[in-house]
Amino acid sequence: MKKKLLSMLLAAAMTVSLVACGTAPQEKTESSTASEASTEEVAEETAESRPNRLIYGSTTEISGDLGNAWWTNNATDKKIRDLINDYNVITFDQGGAMLVNSAVVDGEIESVENEDGSKTFTVKIKEGLTYNNGEAITAADYVAYALVAYSPATLEAAAGVVADSVVGAQAYQNGESNVISGLRLIDDYTYSITIVPEYLPYFYELSFVDLAPLYLPMYSPNATLVVKDDGEGVYLDGGELNADDVNASRFIYEGRVSAGPYQIKKLDTGTLQAELVLNPNYVGNFEGQMPSIETLVIVKTESATAIDSLKTGAVDILDTLTDGNLEINPALDLVDQGGFTYVDFERNGYGKLQFACDFGPTQFPAVRQAVAYLLDRNEFANQFCAGYGSVVDGPYGLCMWMYQDSQEFFADNIDSYSYDPAKAVELLEADGWVLNADGTEYSGTGTRYKEVTKEEAGTYALNVTLPDGRILMPLHIMWSSSEDNPVSELLVVMLANGQQTADAGMVIEQTVMSFTDLLNYMYRDASVDAKYGVPTYGMFNLATGFTQLYDQSYTYNMEEEYMGTYNNNFIKDEQLATLAWDMVFGVEAGDDTTYLDKWQQFMDRWNELLPDVPLYSNIYYTVHADWLEGYDQSSYWEFEDAVLYATIANAE
Amino acid sequence: MKKYIVKRIIYMIFVFLIVSVLMYLLYNLIPSDPARAELEGLKTSLRPAEYEQRYQNLREQMGLDDPILLRYARWMGFAPEKESGEFHGMLQGYFGYSNFFKKDVTEVLPVRMKNTMMINIFVTFLALAITIPLGIFCAVRKNGKFDNLVQFLTIIGYSVPIYIIALIFIWLFAVKLQWLPVSGMETPGSNYTGIQAVMDKIYYLTLPVLIMTFASLGGMTRYVRTAMIDALGMDYIRTARAKGLREKVVIYSHAWKNALLPVVTVIIGWFISIFSGSVIVETTFTLNGMGQVYYLALRNSDYELALATQMFYCAVSLIGQLIMDLSYGLVDPRVRVDK
Repeated sequence: MKKKLLSMLLAAAMTVSLVACGTAPQEKTESSTASEASTEEVAEETAESRPNRLIYGSTTEISGDLGNAWWTNNATDKKIRDLINDYNVITFDQGGAMLVNSAVVDGEIESVENEDGSKTFTVKIKEGLTYNNGEAITAADYVAYALVAYSPATLEAAAGVVADSVVGAQAYQNGESNVISGLRLIDDYTYSITIVPEYLPYFYELSFVDLAPLYLPMYSPNATLVVKDDGEGVYLDGGELNADDVNASRFIYEGRVSAGPYQIKKLDTGTLQAELVLNPNYVGNFEGQMPSIETLVIVKTESATAIDSLKTGAVDILDTLTDGNLEINPALDLVDQGGFTYVDFERNGYGKLQFACDFGPTQFPAVRQAVAYLLDRNEFANQFCAGYGSVVDGPYGLCMWMYQDSQEFFADNIDSYSYDPAKAVELLEADGWVLNADGTEYSGTGTRYKEVTKEEAGTYALNVTLPDGRILMPLHIMWSSSEDNPVSELLVVMLANGQQTADAGMVIEQTVMSFTDLLNYMYRDASVDAKYGVPTYGMFNLATGFTQLYDQSYTYNMEEEYMGTYNNNFIKDEQLATLAWDMVFGVEAGDDTTYLDKWQQFMDRWNELLPDVPLYSNIYYTVHADWLEGYDQSSYWEFEDAVLYATIANAE
Repeated sequence: MKKYIVKRIIYMIFVFLIVSVLMYLLYNLIPSDPARAELEGLKTSLRPAEYEQRYQNLREQMGLDDPILLRYARWMGFAPEKESGEFHGMLQGYFGYSNFFKKDVTEVLPVRMKNTMMINIFVTFLALAITIPLGIFCAVRKNGKFDNLVQFLTIIGYSVPIYIIALIFIWLFAVKLQWLPVSGMETPGSNYTGIQAVMDKIYYLTLPVLIMTFASLGGMTRYVRTAMIDALGMDYIRTARAKGLREKVVIYSHAWKNALLPVVTVIIGWFISIFSGSVIVETTFTLNGMGQVYYLALRNSDYELALATQMFYCAVSLIGQLIMDLSYGLVDPRVRVDK
């Protein structure tokens, strides 16, 4: 009986599957027919008009976290967030220069220096700004941003915004006060914000003033919160924020109130798609530019099939292609075939060899410079980037205005460390790497040694102590490289195993590990494991990038608290640290000349000390259908900015 | 029977706990710092104090500084939470928090599970509908030209990795012929409803379903064929034929029923695998399923999500084993599962 029952069940399953098989081709045929029909329609439309819609293929996940910058969003979530939010008081132009958003601010931002050294900025918001739902935006909405960002509830929601730049914000965040004394609501369209003296002067001081409108009901659905100011500072009246509500605000899609060029029509984390439509109430960016593309669809694509998706019209634009062989070349082939075009731009960052500058051979600048001379960086960049890359000679991006204005200075002062093994040997010999392991004069083959002091020797494991008490350090660099990394593979061939390196008497010993492990060793993060706290590797290969705010003040800070986390070169150079600090904290906002002068001095010193060897700086490509017109992109001017200026030819 | 089931369930719980300890320890052996990884992208835009505060908040929130056994006990729901003092673990239905999605795992997985099940149900039915008749046909015409051809093709299908099959199919059907989409789950910006939405979904799922079906044909066809050849060689088949029964009756009523025993375990295994996603196919086609989310979790060091996914697979596998064992008894009365 049971056997019969199971047989019947199996038979039924087969029947159902047969039915499914029977219907599938039929459905497929219908679908194919529909597809063919729509293809024909599209073909007909192409000559006349096409949907006013752009499909953006994103290779990172759409996780749906639209939270403010208080949390970490992934690249695609951030893009969506930026497309639906604008009206920040401070913004950046195409060249990365910081400026007051004239679409938002009425006139100039006035500032007054107070007796205690603090500085008060008064911001007047333009009348007539509204959210996408039509509700007016006033100064209270801007103040609300700070009141939510600095609130204890937001801190509890793991955002952890540091509130130490605004007077009274720290006490508010700690729960010691319910007002932010340094933030005042002056009238419906005016507020003021006072920055603490410790952060002044600061070249980018306007960044402290930056606020954006925040729609309070989205952060407190169960209470009607109102911003008030009774003369002591601003506060929230009518209830309290709680962490759950603040957190939940990140995932509101339907009816999300925002104030940017676009608004969310649909965001589906199930199908990994977001559809944004024009916000009818948007008044334009800082140049008054309004978007014309009615619908933006952001879809997840896989890197492996992204070019095929572009080719078949599943997506219209692929942003920031990096891999020369797998992405850029096939994409450019598409361009050659017609129907597509591209924009290329320089990366604002670079891949690098990073040195630990406080122990082992790499503590000596001559060794770091020798490594640079032993590597043909132009050839390396050319090979790694498959022709789509260049070389930089310092911690800068080629698109930075500082670099653009310093061409002459660079030509006269910055050493490009062009491939020169003889120069490497010369430097090493001048630095004292002239011994064999037994303390005799270097024979010309094998590893070089240098006599070092006890302090220089430190705990470096490979040191040799001679019977006479002299300590010799071998020119043996322990290199931590991440697994499955083509940069590492090329470095092995062109540097570590290169004949020129052996001839120079240098040994570079590679240890392959996960990138997480690499970071642990680089940061010397003993909180993960005690072994990471021990200086072990003198060289790492990884990449770095820059934002519009070029601030290296902490990167080369010599104080212990910054070692590892920020100063992960562990470099202690008074001049470098001072220049990095003074470049931003010693220059008044707007004094571009002084800033540039200090920037150049900083570059000069950095270039001499060479804490990193920049390896390559990519040239990125964004490839798109050729009916997308007026699209121009750079590292500072990303898709969310550029799309406002783009149009679709023959759009419906 | 009941006693056997209870015994097996107790055994399953025991195994589940051991696996959970091992998996938890294994994931925590990975030398990673999820708090730092979370903040890495923001580092250049944060001031040191801000970075440190966020970092410490995250470590605190993630409980990274607590002893590992305590963290395990909390994760399982054997120990109370640090802040609330309440038991809030797997036993209470809380499967952890996804750092990548910034949501509870229980909010992340259902939609992926639905997608995976939808694809796998299609694949399973389609594959069974092809492989069972094909296997029977080949067994009946053993060593014939068609059988040899199928043997050859199934060996190829069985040996070629699914990602190669996927790339070939994509190139042929999506790029060259452009009959089907390269990837995705619905037409971007379509907003279809009703039958249009269903048709659109089918249009998008056809290629991955085809690939997964194609990749699974080889093994099952050969399995059914072998089982049927064994069954057809039995004495009772000769007797049935001698009785003058029609060949169809001999094959489908006598031979197939007896060939079921080895096949049924594989078939049930297939149905159980409906819950588990194919990492390669889902990732290649951007199908937001269990396989893709597991891969994503591992890539982004989202270990609570990866762990929850893995423990779910563990539970499904244990339950599957029980069902398989019970089904033996249903198919073959000679097998007594209550002993």
